[in-house]
Amino acid sequence: MASADLTSKQESRHARAGGFADAAPHPLTSLLRRLAGRVVAVVTTLLGLLFLTFSMGRLLPADPVLAITGAEVSKEVYDRVYNELGLGQPIWMQFFSYVGKVATGDLGTAATTGQPILTDLMTIFPATIELAIIAMIIGAVIGIPLGVTAAVRRGTIIDHIARIVALAGHSIPIFWTGLMALFLFYAKLKLVGASGRIDVFYEGLVTPMTGFLLIDAAIQQQWDVFYNALGHIILPAAILGYYSVAYISRMSRSFMLEQLSQEYIITARAKGLGTRKVVWRHAFRNIRVQLLTILALTFGGLLEGAVLIETVFGWPGLGQYLTRGLQMNDMNVVMGSVLTIGAVFLTINILSDVLYRILDPRTR
Amino acid sequence: MLKQLLTTIALTGALMGAQPALAASPPNMLVIGTNLTGIRTLDPAQNNARTVSELISNLYDNLVQLSPDDLKTLKPMLATKWEVSADGKIITLTLRDDAVFQSGNKVTAEDAAWSIQRVIKMGQVGSTDVALWGFTPENVEKLVRAKDEHTLEIELPQSVNTDLVLYSLAGSSIGIVDKKTVLSHEANGDFGGAWLSANSAGSGPFSLAQWRPNDVAIFNAQPKYWGGKPAMARVVARHIPESGNLRLQLEAGDVDVGQYVASGDLDALSTNKDMVIDNVPGLGFYYIALNQKDPDLQKPKVREAFQHAFDWKAISGNIMRYTGFPWQSMIPRGMIGAPDEAAARYDYDPAKAKQLLAEAGYPNGLKKVLNPSGAPTLPFAEALQASARAAGFDLDLVPGEFTPAFRERKFEVLLGNSGARLPDPFAVATQYAFNPDNRDEARLGSYYLWRTGMKVDELNTLIDQSMRERDTEKRTDIFKKMDGIYSGMAAPLVIFFQRTDPYVMRTNVKGYHGHTTWSTRWHDVTKE
Repeated sequence: MASADLTSKQESRHARAGGFADAAPHPLTSLLRRLAGRVVAVVTTLLGLLFLTFSMGRLLPADPVLAITGAEVSKEVYDRVYNELGLGQPIWMQFFSYVGKVATGDLGTAATTGQPILTDLMTIFPATIELAIIAMIIGAVIGIPLGVTAAVRRGTIIDHIARIVALAGHSIPIFWTGLMALFLFYAKLKLVGASGRIDVFYEGLVTPMTGFLLIDAAIQQQWDVFYNALGHIILPAAILGYYSVAYISRMSRSFMLEQLSQEYIITARAKGLGTRKVVWRHAFRNIRVQLLTILALTFGGLLEGAVLIETVFGWPGLGQYLTRGLQMNDMNVVMGSVLTIGAVFLTINILSDVLYRILDPRTR
Repeated sequence: MLKQLLTTIALTGALMGAQPALAASPPNMLVIGTNLTGIRTLDPAQNNARTVSELISNLYDNLVQLSPDDLKTLKPMLATKWEVSADGKIITLTLRDDAVFQSGNKVTAEDAAWSIQRVIKMGQVGSTDVALWGFTPENVEKLVRAKDEHTLEIELPQSVNTDLVLYSLAGSSIGIVDKKTVLSHEANGDFGGAWLSANSAGSGPFSLAQWRPNDVAIFNAQPKYWGGKPAMARVVARHIPESGNLRLQLEAGDVDVGQYVASGDLDALSTNKDMVIDNVPGLGFYYIALNQKDPDLQKPKVREAFQHAFDWKAISGNIMRYTGFPWQSMIPRGMIGAPDEAAARYDYDPAKAKQLLAEAGYPNGLKKVLNPSGAPTLPFAEALQASARAAGFDLDLVPGEFTPAFRERKFEVLLGNSGARLPDPFAVATQYAFNPDNRDEARLGSYYLWRTGMKVDELNTLIDQSMRERDTEKRTDIFKKMDGIYSGMAAPLVIFFQRTDPYVMRTNVKGYHGHTTWSTRWHDVTKE
């Protein structure tokens, strides 16, 4: 009885949804064709990205040999490493041999860790993704309601708060916020961990499976480790998330304002629907797709923001890896990291594009 | 709706509040906050830098050692005694028989011989010091040999002061490795280098439990260590690159020892009664390098003007307070041949510098590009730029990593710092005053004097003599003479400070002594 009730409720909700829930399914062939086109574009973009990074690496007054050997090295050792790296070959040859290797999944070896780049990335990338996902959740959970509320109550105290939050997020350096937050929540209040993904006493208790420490700890039911890791991730994630709150709330507000001036909203209000229903059932439903794009862009931005926040928090992720690669002139690391970030950006773009088409019937 | 928003914020707050308060590090665990950047391997043969030397020195034993408070007296380690043949050609070391590797294998003279051969044959940076004595991949197997299970013979290919050779054996690169275990992991003739980059095979007081480059290195005590079980069951070296964060963790007690703490944070920690700052003298200097391929900088009066163009006293109390002390001799303080007082050989005197420039033909001053060797020397370069302006130098400061350009002789004026590990003036003199071949194609980038493009035959001869001479008094005279020549010729490497390495420790940590040669050992560390 209860389930029958639920079904009929869902059906009636779909019926009110104004369109896409009842639309015909998208033809698979067209989607595949579109995807193939996108893949070609992606490969071209990645090649361009590689070429740019590679050229930059060659233009910088950096010596990849010294990145491996250190500055105090004898001529014999220097020459041997120089030849091992193939630096005597013409630039174009070096570039093509690099691209050829990348195509087979060989991103070279990191001078700064001595490990293959791919091995390094497998270890560090989950740390950054984990951070970005939690930051993203915080950003969305706070940013969207804040933006929507600010739109609905334009000119009220909430609207002003949202604007101050947005302004602060754009103007205060993340580095400074990070240190201040550490001072308050770690040093003074002793609520969170200071550095790294986990306290050293918990090292080695969890076997890496997925690379996502929280998930691995939960799978292995190491709850002490789980809570400790949570205590370490929450602050950098919250700060990263805060910087995305600023953007998400600003965008949510403007999308919402646009919807609230539409005729169907005025009609709904005239019919006597309550504000909550009008906003969340009608208006919000129509800005979901736009928000999805914003969230996708934000996620890319979070990877960028991670560069600084990872340094402040000693977080062993991609941002710190890239920064160190730049500092130490380790071009393989720089190129591997840039390629990874580029690939993530492109993947997010494609995914949001596909979702956009699925969710918004007008784009078909 | 407002309620929803507040609920969300409250939930987030609750989540943060739900974390248990974190405890300080346990009494049997030492936590070192440091910078692990650029440590690509933990193989002794492939390293000679500061941080990694400390890690390696606790995984591997050396044949002999130097204690941090006495850099002149060699002390036993794996070798209980050693003697030098009358002709000074052969060093015979007797090894202890109670030392075992972490694999359980006994430490033998064969392991020691093979470890030294391995370093020379691999030819990586770890061989820098020991290769000075004339060992080559071709001759080392014949010259470094196990006579029996506990007797090692080292025959010298050329006449060398044997103390220098023994000093080099105390360096972290010559940690003795377990031949059998390492060879079982050899791949493509790499002497087990790839495997040793992230594993340990030593007889030291600790073994490697976990190693994640640029993140964390964890060491477990070896209960069967011949020198007795260490008090610390575990030592953790954690990568904390941001000095402000490291300071907070030191204050909270989560970190016991801090390295590479920035000057401002050191100032703040110096007033904290729970902290001790140990400024360990290093074997290197802060210097201005002047490229002699530049016709303006070739003029002795211009080089002399640089001596008076830097207000070093002004920064000795602030940015250099923990990272160096005023020193203007090429022989490090406290070493044989060093002057008793070398704090003010040249003072900041803008008027004199201007006059010297005018005499050199630059009455309107001189414009040059100034580079720091890297980020750590940038504040120093900024101070030089400011004080040199009044002395008639218009220095255009271009920041970045310029060590590669320095090695290639592609610079005008550079501000750098150096370090060395052999506790003898010979090592520093080799770095600062030796250049056997000044041609560009010689590419002797490891010698600073070559980098600046100057060659002084008399200095080369003296350095060579100091390596061969066995009489301490005669060596002292050689170094004094060297120092006299160097300061009298307005050298293109203008030395202002001797390096110090600051270590911050919580007061309850006892027995942690930063080592001048970077072989800091944790065996005797305790926590109250």
